[in-house]
Amino acid sequence: MKTISLGFGTVFGFLLAGAGLMNYNVIHEGLLLRNATMFLIMGSAVAVAAVGIWLLERFRWVTPLQGMLKVKRISINKKHIYGAVIFGIGWAITGNCPAVSAAMLGSGIGYGAVVMAGIVLGVLIFDIKIRKRSV
Amino acid sequence: MFPIPWYVAGPLMGLVVLATYAVMNRSLGALGSYAQIVDFLRRKPVKEIWRIWYLVGVILGGAGAAWLFGVPAEVASYGKLGELLGNPALLTLLLLGGGCIGFGARWMGGCTSGHGLCGVSARSPGSLVATATFMMTAIAVTLLIHEITGGLL
Repeated sequence: MKTISLGFGTVFGFLLAGAGLMNYNVIHEGLLLRNATMFLIMGSAVAVAAVGIWLLERFRWVTPLQGMLKVKRISINKKHIYGAVIFGIGWAITGNCPAVSAAMLGSGIGYGAVVMAGIVLGVLIFDIKIRKRSV
Repeated sequence: MFPIPWYVAGPLMGLVVLATYAVMNRSLGALGSYAQIVDFLRRKPVKEIWRIWYLVGVILGGAGAAWLFGVPAEVASYGKLGELLGNPALLTLLLLGGGCIGFGARWMGGCTSGHGLCGVSARSPGSLVATATFMMTAIAVTLLIHEITGGLL
């Protein structure tokens, strides 16, 4: 599982970097609705994955590593609004996200590490201050 | 134009998402890796070490792309934001913005990949709401930044 996830991560990071998603201007202009690249990438990725997941479930796919495929679906909760608003603010400010910052670090751009440090701090603060101790 | 055009990168990312379900029976997401790192920092048991390996992979992938295609100066200098701000202000903003990303993503239980790609592909109601919300918020805040900076950003 470790090796496979390392491989999947490598492909994903390579694609993020090669497709221009580490470029602040691309994300920023996307959010200004002046550049469609980001939306085309997300849209085509979702289209491919959605059809694939639908087929796998329809044919009762058994995964090689973890048994019968069970796709987790979560019901709507207030946290999906509150958390998303704060996330959206961070995304707008930095033009960055948890995977893109990691790919940036790999590309030798120190700013990626700074965003990653911020993300770790954000998760840490949430876990310590808000989350129940038991989780 | 970028080294990998959107119509190649997007579908291939979709296949990575799909393969994670098909092979590991898990949903892919970068946020989970950070959650594991935080558990480690807090000396709690790290339940999903594979997620940290996934993030290491993303870093390696970024390194591979940089090695193969090089890094455009615009990307290395953080684009227009880097142009506008000196390093002290830029670093502070990135740390604070990163904090919002981490805090918000942990609260909603996913990020651009976990909710936006995986959850939406799986038609998960919570992910659809989260993705619509963070997209709309980010667009609204970006338009606001554009106004405040008089069009510089």
